[in-house]
Amino acid sequence: MTDQNPIVRLDDVSFSYAQAGEKDAPRALDHVSLSVGAGEFVGVIGPSGAGKSTLAAALSGAIPHHYRGELYGAVYVDGKDTCDVTLTDISQVVGSVLQDIDAQMVASVVEDELLFGLENFGVPHDQIEARLSGALETVGIADLRDREIATLSGGQKQKVSIAAILAMRPRVLVLDEPTAALDPASSRLVFDTLCTVREQGITVIVIEQKVALLSRYCDRILVMDHGRIVLSGTPRQVFGHARELRELGVDSPRMARVHNSLVEKGLLPPGEPCLTVSEAESLVEGLVRPHLAGGAQAGPVADAQRDAAFRASSPHAAVPRPHAEGAEPVVRVEGVGFAYPGSGAAVEDLNMAVYPGEVVGVVGQNGAGKTTLTKLLNGLLKPAVGQVLVSGLDTRHVPTSRIAAHCATLFQNPDCQLCKNTVLDEVAFGLELQGVDADEARRRAHKVIERFGLPEGESPFSLSRGQRQMVALASVVVVEPDVVLLDEPTSGLDYRECMTVMRTVSEMADAGCAVIMVCHDMEVVSDFAERVVVMADGRILGRGPTAQEFADEPLMRRAYVEAPQVTRLSQALARDLSPEYAGISQVSGIVDLTGELVSRG
Amino acid sequence: MVSVIEYVPGETLLHRLNPVTKLAIAAAIIVATFCAQTYGMLVALLALTFALAAYSHTTSKLVTLLKLLVPIAIVMLLLQCAFVRGGRTVLLWMTTEGLDSAGKACLRLLGVALPLVLMLSVTKLNDLANACVEVLHVPYRYAFTFTTALRFVPVFGQQMNAIMEAQCARGVEYDTKNPIRKLRLMLPLCVPLLVSSVGKTDATALAAEQRGFYLRTRASSFKRYPMHGRDAAVLVACVALVVLGVLL
Repeated sequence: MTDQNPIVRLDDVSFSYAQAGEKDAPRALDHVSLSVGAGEFVGVIGPSGAGKSTLAAALSGAIPHHYRGELYGAVYVDGKDTCDVTLTDISQVVGSVLQDIDAQMVASVVEDELLFGLENFGVPHDQIEARLSGALETVGIADLRDREIATLSGGQKQKVSIAAILAMRPRVLVLDEPTAALDPASSRLVFDTLCTVREQGITVIVIEQKVALLSRYCDRILVMDHGRIVLSGTPRQVFGHARELRELGVDSPRMARVHNSLVEKGLLPPGEPCLTVSEAESLVEGLVRPHLAGGAQAGPVADAQRDAAFRASSPHAAVPRPHAEGAEPVVRVEGVGFAYPGSGAAVEDLNMAVYPGEVVGVVGQNGAGKTTLTKLLNGLLKPAVGQVLVSGLDTRHVPTSRIAAHCATLFQNPDCQLCKNTVLDEVAFGLELQGVDADEARRRAHKVIERFGLPEGESPFSLSRGQRQMVALASVVVVEPDVVLLDEPTSGLDYRECMTVMRTVSEMADAGCAVIMVCHDMEVVSDFAERVVVMADGRILGRGPTAQEFADEPLMRRAYVEAPQVTRLSQALARDLSPEYAGISQVSGIVDLTGELVSRG
Repeated sequence: MVSVIEYVPGETLLHRLNPVTKLAIAAAIIVATFCAQTYGMLVALLALTFALAAYSHTTSKLVTLLKLLVPIAIVMLLLQCAFVRGGRTVLLWMTTEGLDSAGKACLRLLGVALPLVLMLSVTKLNDLANACVEVLHVPYRYAFTFTTALRFVPVFGQQMNAIMEAQCARGVEYDTKNPIRKLRLMLPLCVPLLVSSVGKTDATALAAEQRGFYLRTRASSFKRYPMHGRDAAVLVACVALVVLGVLL
């Protein structure tokens, strides 16, 4: 904050998107003061609607030059007030990567995409080649130079968009949720790239929801809420404020939660939390080891029993729902194969059965075939080999629109699902399609909308992204399907919205609905799914209870999936400290056991 | 539609010509098609298009397009026969004169659409835009608008597809066999598509401006598009083709 020569400085900035003359409009930014020094790596986090994207727009000059509204205070980029210079001048200092990367692209070939900025800013033609190949190499995509952008994966496109900005050699790079659509491995690669960029002296400011990434890479984290910066500091300082973050609806890394819970239990003095698995391991080891030395010998005989007893008593080890036993599966996938015409992508030999009342997570890299699997389940794709039975209906012979009565899908992008003028019409629409009469449909829709607390009379398109997702979820809940498919239910949502979605889904499962969710967020999968299916290269590599699959290290490596932090911690503790830690998948489980071990000793 | 206007990489002479020359070839074939009065010439022009496609390995693109165009051409043929009547009746309402003019109209439809697609599949859009700016002195903003519009076609196609799939999975009968019913169901979706398109276009404008769109001049392009001897030769051939079209 006390940098001598800040490259970017906000001086008491307020902004509202209101048109001139409108009074009392909500402020997207509210008295924000901030200074970022050259070469810093700053992360911005906060709940939806906190003003993060508006902050990015103010930094990159899009406010005041592109978006209309009322701006107070001053933004200085490289010492110049952004109101006094043109957007073109600002963008020579600040490069910004937009949230919607498809919209950012101006060319159809990677090379041309990079050339665009270089040509426009009049870079001498004899330097262009060096800049172009330099930017491609920094990002690690030199081999994609001649590729059509339309044929690239999401992660590759994201890298192209970063390279295109880097080629212009900005001094500041502003990115708005660059990893929202990416799997954990690609997200980490993007952040590694940003790290390389920072080593070249470029300031990086990144808006992001993935706390584990932020805590690992950033020098400084800003937490925003209601247009204000409410917390600012190093990752350790910020994630030490566990209670404030929880109240704001901001996630904390699981390892910080382990630390903070231990502090709350009085086992540790308050202080800066640990952030990595190895730090947490040595922390817990330091606590437990002295107490373990004497009493450990009594262990081995009773270990298995105690372990089982612990798991049965702990509410945190995912317990399979009782009604899953002995029932007929509601979804059967038998020897299914499918290939997209004209491309190599395919799935082979898929087998799975899902029982009523189960939550099954599907995990794997981008391109592993997860989305293809969901489309095979809801009948959008018909299997080329084998068969898919949903509620006894063979998807090859029953039209997709009839399967919809039994199997509802929540898509990653809610905007594809919404088409009506009011929230009430939208939610009732699904029921009407199934032949429920209009009055009855509205009555049922009304009940669900009330439960979700959504504005009934408003247009779905005027709502925030998180609320649109909730409308889409409401229209899934209202039809009371046998099976629910969720494709990345949490992407683009903040922590609180994410928890609301997942709790609703769990309730549906309790009511006997089978839930199948494709999800990149392993923490969510481990919290809510009792079984997982691990996919890679169009095949199912493994399936079984969540904790067991996540604990299978070779399997995780083969699928390029990183097990959740808590699982890795409990594995490490079980190996090095006490076998009792094995199989714990929740923060509270680790903390309770640690407390027990300490007091036992 | 997604795969019809897509660049097919290659090293043939057709690929290496100046984009403006390629544009001229397409224009010459189209003009000749409009002027030609005999079946022989119309068929010959179509054959020329296909020969060029075979030479540049883009025949598959033309065949994809043909699958779309032939049904339209048949409908046109039937209608045209109903409107133009004269001479001897051949079959039902079709007369000799009607068949003659309808047949030519159909060949012209194919003859106009195919050369354009051929040209687009051997030229990168950016090259086309930059060459038009450099050689033809077209203002860059028009060239940019044109290439962006073409680039957005598959993007919007994918979006429409995603919307249709989502609606289908909710129970809207897009899988119905009745095309009119399907069209009626599709119309309400134009609004969400339009809303998201406007947002996307606005974001593109911002992104382009942030990368110096307004600084761009005719000399900005890194790649140069000089006209070579072979371009001149091809242009002469194009003129000859138009003359041939007018005469025959």
